Amino acid sequence: MIQIKNLSFSYRKGSLLYKDLSLLLTNGSIYGLLGKNGAGKSTLLKNIAGSLFPTGGSISVDGMIPQKRLPSFLSTVYYIPEECYVPALTSKQYTALYGVFYPNFNASQLNDYLKELDVVIEGKLSALSFGQQKKFIIAFALACNTNVILMDEPTNSLDIPSKTQFRKLIASVMNNERIILISTHQTRDLENLIDQVVILDNGNLLLNTSVKEITSKLHFETVNELPAGSMVIYSEEQLKGISIVRENRSGEDSRLNLEHLFNGATQNPNLLNQIFNLKK
Amino acid sequence: MNDIFDIKRFFWLFKKSVLERPALLLGLLAVTLATTLLTYISLQKIGGLGSAQVGAFFLGLLIGGSFLASSVFGYFSSTSSGISYLLLPASHLEKWLCGIIISGGLFVLIYLGFYRVIDVCFVNIYRNNLDPNSPDYLNLYNSAQILSFNSENVRYIFIMFFYISGAMLLGSLYFNKVSFIKVALLIFAFIISTYFINLLFGSFFFNHIESSFPFTNVHLKVGNEVGIINMPSALTKTASFIFTYVIPTILWLLSYLRLKEKEA
Repeated sequence: MIQIKNLSFSYRKGSLLYKDLSLLLTNGSIYGLLGKNGAGKSTLLKNIAGSLFPTGGSISVDGMIPQKRLPSFLSTVYYIPEECYVPALTSKQYTALYGVFYPNFNASQLNDYLKELDVVIEGKLSALSFGQQKKFIIAFALACNTNVILMDEPTNSLDIPSKTQFRKLIASVMNNERIILISTHQTRDLENLIDQVVILDNGNLLLNTSVKEITSKLHFETVNELPAGSMVIYSEEQLKGISIVRENRSGEDSRLNLEHLFNGATQNPNLLNQIFNLKK
Repeated sequence: MNDIFDIKRFFWLFKKSVLERPALLLGLLAVTLATTLLTYISLQKIGGLGSAQVGAFFLGLLIGGSFLASSVFGYFSSTSSGISYLLLPASHLEKWLCGIIISGGLFVLIYLGFYRVIDVCFVNIYRNNLDPNSPDYLNLYNSAQILSFNSENVRYIFIMFFYISGAMLLGSLYFNKVSFIKVALLIFAFIISTYFINLLFGSFFFNHIESSFPFTNVHLKVGNEVGIINMPSALTKTASFIFTYVIPTILWLLSYLRLKEKEA
């Protein structure tokens, strides 16, 4: 469980990126972390991983404090930054030098994941393309079998087939013990993968809700004209009509559109609050 | 799991630190040893064996040692490698020990071993080239001695090495880019400003100061007469102890605290 209480963070004195941010992430879920550029998604992941320290408030991951960076904590959390560091080592050397630090690391799983992601390594990892390096690190992170996996824009620089393979792989490694938190701009890459949505804007938490709850409370559809009398949190004119996100009063089923949800949440946070009865 | 120190984990970390960047570490070592050898040869031709011994020892240990110390925590030159290093499951103590063993222990041992080998060779070559029929033969033969690592000159060089390496190690944790140059400039600025601040304070107490060295003495010049006022010996001893042992130790220990607080 990741518990964030009244988190404040700033890179410079006087300008807080977060102020009193509280968030609870429970095991057994894949979270999609959405936010605009500069909203602090990467910063939040780094705070959870322990590479940045909160200015105020607290973070605990399974009862441990990331800021202390104790080996017992670090061996249960894997953070994949947007730009991965890959030394000039072969896959075998990397595995031998890094894998030992993770008690649950499984080399045969790594090989399986590399196959699934179509990563063929001949020579040193640093000679691979950026996308291949990223896929290697994703496979390695999953093979470490840590309880918490934090991914910052994992699908950036992945080609279209790789994105599909990535989704399949993540879904296959998920279990009730794990928390996977994925920060992304590429909302479509995550739509069928995540079961919880976290939206951040201007240092505030706009939403932390399950996909099930979102689709039970919101309806995503395309209409010819805006329905009268319903709470519409987002609308966008398209060729086939107007795509809207509105309050779901009748319990109709619809497919989550993360991009529209995100736009609606950031444009009409008060309306969203009203629908989800979120506590400020 | 021991979160402070685990010998097995420390061994893994040490192995990783060396094998991950062999080109950097071994390259620096090779350049240092080659520079020492070339300096030894050049200085011997210019100023004789004695100055070559001290000069080459000084240059190799200080330049090589400070470059190595500024690179041993060089992971922070890029954010991604800095994050990878900080989040590697090893304790702060293990990471710090690994850095200081490489830059302050292993390097010194290898350097001293190499230096002793070349010194023995050059002293023997020098002695073999002497004319046994020369009246000065015995004097010259006996004057060519292997540089003692216990001599006062070497002791001062060691102190300087621990100062500069400690500052470089600490500086590399403060400055992510070109830390070597930044720290070298800071050391230079510190030495210059210390000298002049000391001179300024000296001028409050004495007139006619010619020069003044911090924590040692003041040279006064009146007309053609020059006098030296030494600091009381008890104070000089205390200052010497502080400068020889306390400050270098603080510099090395501060790098541990800085590593603990380092963010990326």
